[in-house]
Amino acid sequence: MPSTTATPSSHRRLRRFAVALVCAAATTVLAQAPAPAAPPPMVDLAGSWAMSNDEELLIRIDPGPELENYTGFPLNAAARQKALAWNSTIQAVPEHQARPHPAQYSMRGPGPNFHMGEVIDPKTRQLVAYTITGLFQNANRTIWLDGRPHPSVFAEHLWNGFSTGVWEKGTLKVTTTHMKQAFLQRNGIPSSPYGVMTEFFIRHGDRLLVISQVDDPIYLEEPMIRSSTFAWNPGQRENPIVQVEIADELPNLKPGDVPHYPLGFRQTDYADSHGLPWEATLGGAETLYPEYAEKLKALMPQRRAQ
Amino acid sequence: MSRTRCLAVAATAAATWLATVSLATMSPALLRAQQPASPPAPPATPRAAALVDLTGNWVSLVTEEWRWRMTTPPRGDYISLPLSDEGRRVADTWTPALDGSCKAYGAGGVMWLPTRLRVSWEGDQALKVETDAGQQTRLLGFDAARPAGPRSLQGFSVAAWEPMGGAPVLRSGTRVAAPPPAGGTLKVVTTNLSEGWLRRNGAPYSERSTITEYWDRVAFPNGDDFLVVTILVRDPLYLLNEYTRSAHFKREPDASKWRPAPCRQS
Repeated sequence: MPSTTATPSSHRRLRRFAVALVCAAATTVLAQAPAPAAPPPMVDLAGSWAMSNDEELLIRIDPGPELENYTGFPLNAAARQKALAWNSTIQAVPEHQARPHPAQYSMRGPGPNFHMGEVIDPKTRQLVAYTITGLFQNANRTIWLDGRPHPSVFAEHLWNGFSTGVWEKGTLKVTTTHMKQAFLQRNGIPSSPYGVMTEFFIRHGDRLLVISQVDDPIYLEEPMIRSSTFAWNPGQRENPIVQVEIADELPNLKPGDVPHYPLGFRQTDYADSHGLPWEATLGGAETLYPEYAEKLKALMPQRRAQ
Repeated sequence: MSRTRCLAVAATAAATWLATVSLATMSPALLRAQQPASPPAPPATPRAAALVDLTGNWVSLVTEEWRWRMTTPPRGDYISLPLSDEGRRVADTWTPALDGSCKAYGAGGVMWLPTRLRVSWEGDQALKVETDAGQQTRLLGFDAARPAGPRSLQGFSVAAWEPMGGAPVLRSGTRVAAPPPAGGTLKVVTTNLSEGWLRRNGAPYSERSTITEYWDRVAFPNGDDFLVVTILVRDPLYLLNEYTRSAHFKREPDASKWRPAPCRQS
């Protein structure tokens, strides 16, 4: 009988053959198992990025944009009214002296040179967030990539808001909510806490294009879009935080007073200094489109006549 | 059943199963190998291989540098432009009588002006970009070997699709298996230019300029669809360093607002 005549060596050979076959079968089974979901295409955005100020240098560097220059903004009547009442002296009241730049504005402010850092989960080693540091007065941002939801609408609003990101066609799409009531430009153009900002971070080699759109139902006739270009700048050190000592700069200000221009005040310095029709400098969706250039031409003779 | 016989039966069963699975998975390849080789497929045309659809009607939204774009700034207003001394000298020769010149509508300037764009395919090898402001036509050709022709305002543009994204790199340094690129950008390099203006007040770029552009398309949650063109101008004559700007154009449903306005030949 084979079972009784088999030698120990043939027994071992048969056992090795069986083990090898089982291993091969297991490998085949594993190879047939569904592959884990492929990660979305992503780009490495980490590193230091330097702002190119080739657009709007005069507006972005200090001391900032001129009063009543609302050109390029799709402001509605409420925003215009609020902006025209804005008096730059308000920046001297103690509560405003150390204000950071809000997320709606900080990426378009003076500079910014910033660093994009990675937050890595210590266990999975997966990228769970990007950080943006170097923004004015440390209103640094975190862009969560781990799928967490935005907080309740009743949650606290912050200078940097709350940002989440998803990879979309090789770009990082970022949604920011919970931003403070603040400004879109440093000359009083307001932004409400109900605004939502959508940004796309697109890398072209050593360039980073950031496209942002602020959709603010309170102050804008249509969403406001801006695009900014940054250059990869390894070794860059971002600007230090400005040390601010709150000082009594307005000794004659009574408690509760808020520096402002009265409603209906007509600021005309910007229009006058550049020979522009006043109404053209007040912004509005209509003024952003090419056909407005024709309307502007029609308004200019009246302006010159003044 | 003895232990040896049990092993033998198990081995036979496993071998049979493995052979079946292997045949099931390999047979298509084996069958293909038996067939006569088919001729290699021709390379996809740039049109067929497009990573993003840039065609359509687009309108510039002038939300940046409004005063310098919607009006002609006065002579000497060169803020934001990295003009060299020679560039400034040339710019200062401009007079208001030159306003409206086609020099403002060359490839280095026209994308920054308030305009509408009509982007369409010119055959399978080139994208045609028409502007209603200045009535210019740019040809973004994918065939770099085609004749460049004489110098012109729109120059000689060579286009190429660039996939965006890629497989993430793990901490170990290995790259995760990549899905095919889900998106991309159009890179355009333009040379063979005649002299033009970066700004309507005569701030110049020279014929030695090279303009590199990236054409991206993004869609916002509110339904807005934008074409964003990043423009990098390098001019060893009139600029001190690379000049960068990005223009954004909103998609329009049709060409009903197309208003052709010619420029003046200077």
